[in-house]
Amino acid sequence: MTVTLDRAPAAAVVAPWRLVREGARDITPMVIGVIPFGLAIGATVATSSLSTAQGLASAPLIMAGAAQLSTVQMVDAGVAPVMIVVAALMINARILLYSASLAPWFSGESIGRRLLLAVPVIDQMHFTCVPRFERGDLDAGQRRAYYAGAAGWLVSAWFASQALAITIGATVPESVGLHVAAPLALAGLLAKSTTSNNTATAAAVAMLVVTVGAGLPFHSAVLVATLAGITGGTLLARSRS
Amino acid sequence: MIVWIVIGAVGVGTYVLRVCMFLVVGRRSLPTWTVVPMGFVAPAAVAALVGSMLLTQHGSIDVAAMPELAAVTMGFATVRRTGNVMHAIATGLPTFWLLSAMAAF
Repeated sequence: MTVTLDRAPAAAVVAPWRLVREGARDITPMVIGVIPFGLAIGATVATSSLSTAQGLASAPLIMAGAAQLSTVQMVDAGVAPVMIVVAALMINARILLYSASLAPWFSGESIGRRLLLAVPVIDQMHFTCVPRFERGDLDAGQRRAYYAGAAGWLVSAWFASQALAITIGATVPESVGLHVAAPLALAGLLAKSTTSNNTATAAAVAMLVVTVGAGLPFHSAVLVATLAGITGGTLLARSRS
Repeated sequence: MIVWIVIGAVGVGTYVLRVCMFLVVGRRSLPTWTVVPMGFVAPAAVAALVGSMLLTQHGSIDVAAMPELAAVTMGFATVRRTGNVMHAIATGLPTFWLLSAMAAF
């Protein structure tokens, strides 16, 4: 396996705006999965003890759904502030992995740009951008355009869905199935990302560990399961090479 | 006031997680030993997220209801066949509606 970062075929001259659109288009399945989640969090915030201003500010400040939900619920339950922060950061620790996988693609950017590019690092950005970048036909500027298109669409849909639910306090009946949209979008991604024995093993290990380890402290089950899956896949790949 | 501090602290902490590799990596590319594990981040993380949504609830094992499980299985199988991530929602949601309607009778 080789990693090509800054070599792009000379023939691939594509206007940046087309890549902005391509990024937005490619992340759309994820956006459809995220909107119901945003509505659900917004509805939770609307019925919590948080003020409307605090609820609205928590979306752009945290910009990670599960951690935001956990923060809102724990504030509401009167949990000690330090514990709330620790739990939320444990939930978000997986973002470090996404940071590690996305950052090399922008290693030539200025420090200011890198500080900005880090802002939307989240599950959906990693799942959309890394496979596209790995095709190796984009130069640095094109990667930036693609990334910006994906991030812009994802982040605006995320804020809009939350703001909508917070302001009108919307609750959608469960029969509409909005709560199924997020796991469905992820299941599609799972089908695409588990095409070899090694990746399927990594996924199976992660799913087993997240279930068995559901009660792990500080909401660390997803993180521990992800690391276990990565370890399992890597060990299997090593033993076969 | 304490609520603002908590939200701010979670936000700042999360941004640190996001930005640290962007600052560490600098102008160098990834060390080669990380290439293989990186390939497993997506399958492992997605499986962990799906598993936590469908198989657990509030920190204990609690399997989702049949319509949800069937819908997600349908979505997974469809994408396996077609290779288009969009199709998971397209077949999964109708599956959920159909099975929920049948369960209601």
